[in-house]
Amino acid sequence: MAARGHVQDPNDRRLRPIYDYLDNGNNKMAIQQADKLLKKHKDLHCAKVLKAIGLQRTGKQDEAFALAQEVATLEPTDDNSLQALTILYREMHRPELVTKLYEAAVRKVPSSEEYHSHLFMAYARVGEYKKMQQAGMTLYKIVPKNPYYFWSVMSLVMQAISAQDKKLSQTMFLPLAERMVEKMVKEEKIEAEAEVQLYYMILERLGKYVEALEVVRGQLGEKLTSELQSRENKCMSLYKQLERWPECNALSCKLLLKNPDDWQFYMSYFDSLFHLIDQGWEPPSEGEHCSEGEVRSSVAQAIAFVEERLAVEEAKETRPLRGPFLARLELIRRLRARGCPEEQELGEPLELMFQYFIKFGDKPCCISDLKIYLDLLTTDHHFINRLMETVPLSEPQDDGVALPGDTRALQRHLCVAQLSRALGLHHALDTTGKLDLIRQLKSHYRHGLQFGKSCLKTELQFSDMYCLLASHVYIDLWAETGDETMLWQCLGLLEEGLSHSSSNAQFKLLLILLFCRMGAFEPVVDLYSSLDAKHVQHDTIGFLLTRYAESLGQFAAASQSCNFSLRFFHSNQKDTSEYIIQAYKYGAFEKIPEFIAFRSRLNRSLHFAQVRTERMLLDLFLEADLSSSLEDNVKSMGLCPEEDDIPWTDMRDNRDLTVLTSWDPADRQLSEEQRSFSLQEELLWLKVRFLTLRLVGTLAVLSHPPTPRNAEKAAENGVVAKPDILRPLLDQLNTTLQNGAQFLERGVQYPFLGPSPTRLAHALASGSCHCQVLAFQLAAYVQELDAAALEETTEVQTQISNSFKSLLIQLKEILNKCKGDLLEVKEGQCKTQPTLLENLVFFVETVCVVHWVSCFCAGVLRPLKASLQKRKKKKKEPISMVVFSGFQEFTAGLQSLFSEVLDHIKGQETSLTALKLGELTLEEVMPAGVRIVGFKKTQLLRISLESDVLT
Amino acid sequence: MRVPLPFLHECTVKMTTLRAFTCDDLFKFNNINLDPLTETYGIPFYLQYLAHWPEYFIVAEAPGGELMGYIMGKAEGSVAREEWHGHVTALSVAPEFRRLGLAAKLMELLEEISERKGGFFVDLFVRVSNQVAVNMYKQLGYSVYRTVIEYYSASNGEPDEDAYDMRKALSRDTEKKSIIPLPHPVRPEDIE
Repeated sequence: MAARGHVQDPNDRRLRPIYDYLDNGNNKMAIQQADKLLKKHKDLHCAKVLKAIGLQRTGKQDEAFALAQEVATLEPTDDNSLQALTILYREMHRPELVTKLYEAAVRKVPSSEEYHSHLFMAYARVGEYKKMQQAGMTLYKIVPKNPYYFWSVMSLVMQAISAQDKKLSQTMFLPLAERMVEKMVKEEKIEAEAEVQLYYMILERLGKYVEALEVVRGQLGEKLTSELQSRENKCMSLYKQLERWPECNALSCKLLLKNPDDWQFYMSYFDSLFHLIDQGWEPPSEGEHCSEGEVRSSVAQAIAFVEERLAVEEAKETRPLRGPFLARLELIRRLRARGCPEEQELGEPLELMFQYFIKFGDKPCCISDLKIYLDLLTTDHHFINRLMETVPLSEPQDDGVALPGDTRALQRHLCVAQLSRALGLHHALDTTGKLDLIRQLKSHYRHGLQFGKSCLKTELQFSDMYCLLASHVYIDLWAETGDETMLWQCLGLLEEGLSHSSSNAQFKLLLILLFCRMGAFEPVVDLYSSLDAKHVQHDTIGFLLTRYAESLGQFAAASQSCNFSLRFFHSNQKDTSEYIIQAYKYGAFEKIPEFIAFRSRLNRSLHFAQVRTERMLLDLFLEADLSSSLEDNVKSMGLCPEEDDIPWTDMRDNRDLTVLTSWDPADRQLSEEQRSFSLQEELLWLKVRFLTLRLVGTLAVLSHPPTPRNAEKAAENGVVAKPDILRPLLDQLNTTLQNGAQFLERGVQYPFLGPSPTRLAHALASGSCHCQVLAFQLAAYVQELDAAALEETTEVQTQISNSFKSLLIQLKEILNKCKGDLLEVKEGQCKTQPTLLENLVFFVETVCVVHWVSCFCAGVLRPLKASLQKRKKKKKEPISMVVFSGFQEFTAGLQSLFSEVLDHIKGQETSLTALKLGELTLEEVMPAGVRIVGFKKTQLLRISLESDVLT
Repeated sequence: MRVPLPFLHECTVKMTTLRAFTCDDLFKFNNINLDPLTETYGIPFYLQYLAHWPEYFIVAEAPGGELMGYIMGKAEGSVAREEWHGHVTALSVAPEFRRLGLAAKLMELLEEISERKGGFFVDLFVRVSNQVAVNMYKQLGYSVYRTVIEYYSASNGEPDEDAYDMRKALSRDTEKKSIIPLPHPVRPEDIE
């Protein structure tokens, strides 16, 4: 709560209890206390604001706002009121009002450093860069402190960064910022490291690299001390920008001599080397090579340099550094790519990698080091055999498997197994070979557990990765043969692994994926929650949950997981703004654009748009019954169907698609192309869903006069609310579905451990998309009927009647695609049919859409029928209206369809229960089998029942 | 301060790129943070450190581009009372990159930064039960300054856990006054 400073002030004493109540979350008492106080002291404005905070926190936003405005219009200048209002406005997500508040305050107290600085921060919160620039300067004039001056400079930089017109940035904002700093430099007023950092930032953005270099290398650069190697890193980046390869070369070597393990400098050394060779650079005949010292610019020198580093490591008593050894492989690769024969002077890659393994094979990272260079090998088998010969293993056991005697030997053996996989040797085996491999890996896994007996629950077992490897081979077998037994075995193995190593995230992730692919969502909830994924992880791995929860019929879980993610995204806006302000305070200027980019990355997250859309759709699906009105639903979720507020062209895919460990060969790893295909597919599906949502929302707008909010909007835009939003949206939906079908024709496949395909393919195959289109089409016809005089509507009436009939037929067709056993048990083997469940969910979703459309139809038809009956009575004319009879037939048809669905679901439940009872016999074949039976059907049942009440 | 499974080796075999942690790394650190002892904090927590002590937030990157581990720390305390010091808030290394001495290297960097800032010592909190981490810190020259009772609150009905406040004196504290162990344990509310 607000700072309460001066205890002497009697008002502070009076307000204290209200602050305390608010701090303790006792909002009711806070309001009461404030009322009591206001009776005695009418003019104690702060009490009013505190009351408003209490009201805001108890959900009475409108009252709170009105009360706050009462005080705000008085333009208060007391600390308590100002701070309380700031808090209130922030909680109301109206930070722009804080700027108004302090603008008034500084007008009244123009010399207040405090209020001016609050005003600056208020502008910073809403990103009013120009006003920040002025506020900073005003502050500096009142109190000539350097930070204020540089706040103003930074605000110029922000104007440059945010300017649409990049030319304006380069010719106006940045040069102005530069001149402002130069002025301080000339007057020798530069004090802090942050100021030099900012100067560097400005010059870099202006492309004035030479000047930037002078600053960094000069006297001002001496201030750059907080960050380690700050000057060196900045110089290096400037040399690269300036293509000063000699300096880049010399500095890299210098830094490598200091730390022969810093990988980035090997890269910059090799880069510079080949640039210099291509330029035909020659060292000057006398004097220094360049300002950074000696340049090593020939291949021979590079080889010598690397060999020297190696010699130093080899001569060490202690274990050598890995850097030089990998640098040698890197240099070979680069030389080979250029066709340089000198490559051979460094040695044969197979031999070198062999030696690397000898030195570092007992480190878990050996695989990730070597896998980068596997393409240098020509004979994979020979390599693996040679490595294997060096691993100390026991004599083969009864099962023919030779085992390691300690953890180091285990790690070496494991590394060989990982390398074999990375070389594609696992994939090359036939079915028998793969099964034998699995047998060996399992044997190693179980044997290795003895080394980790003393491991804590929070630690991994030494042999865990064998278990994961074997699981991957099971998945290979399944993918190759389609034999689902392999997946069941895999589930069993992973569950076994988890029982010995309960915090192994990789086991959990793979189990989640397998269960989802097999159609069993229930175990996934616990597995996912045991990962304890929080905050930003909602954005990066939340898709694991949200992709399948809904499609497998777990509507409540789906809704909940969307909520978790949404809460994270919604807090982002407020949170980041606060830290942008902090960055100004602490002079972390380079972090300000970074924070802003971060905020935008989250706001433009694909997952954000997805959970927002799905959450609203779920609400509409879950509320699909006669007792709730569509209009209320649409209003309460704040959906504005006329608006497309998804940043389609600039969406950020923040999913961590490599979170599952994979040792697959490079050509089987997720490629950049597959990544972009996956994003494309996600966007197509999102568009389908978003349009569906907006179409349903439109029905609410059409069946009722525009809400005040819409009217206001329409008035703002100077146009009358257009009723014809249904057709354009329907056209868009049709186009998107066509694009979706075209995308699917490409037959894009993703690695199993990579992204899952979206629901698009199944949605199209189930027929639900087209059924929903038909439903919306029907709504459009009914709207037409509503607009025309009844007598002139024969044609549209026929269309409506036909639509009713087709809808029933199509729904029936979808239902037929749901029939069959979810879990077939034949001759002791299990086969899951997740598609049946997914189709059932599509059916339910479609029924919900049809429900809303039917409500809309009923809403239009009912008054029509009433007016018709009146006319009938008067004129006694027999007008036969096909729509009415059509609608009646339609609802009757829906009724019987629903009883069929319910029977179907009951049937499924019976057979699943039967399986559950038989779990004792199943258990031995597949320990995980029991869990898969947990399909939750009640949700489906509920929706179907609710929709059943339609007529 | 939590260290999952760190193993200090006889020497260092890191081979990494060490650089400043940036916001974008938050999208890539799952392999480090999907660990039971590594807390994933809310965005404000990270942003606060990045805004206030960006030099104290360092990440190690492998040649293949994977994040290997990171350290997050701050400088705080009164200079006048000789309590100005570096603090380790989080240190974590991905399972694949353990047993390389990376945690030790990251600690070394944090100590160096604290030296430059004129700190008297570096301190950290560690679960009393995390013997692996406690031993690692001892090898790195840290000693137990005091025990903080029930510093780690447990969630699933288990008892709260004590923490060791471990310290290492920096060169400014020539007499190593800052690390003289307190005779009695303290409560969390008694530490600042």
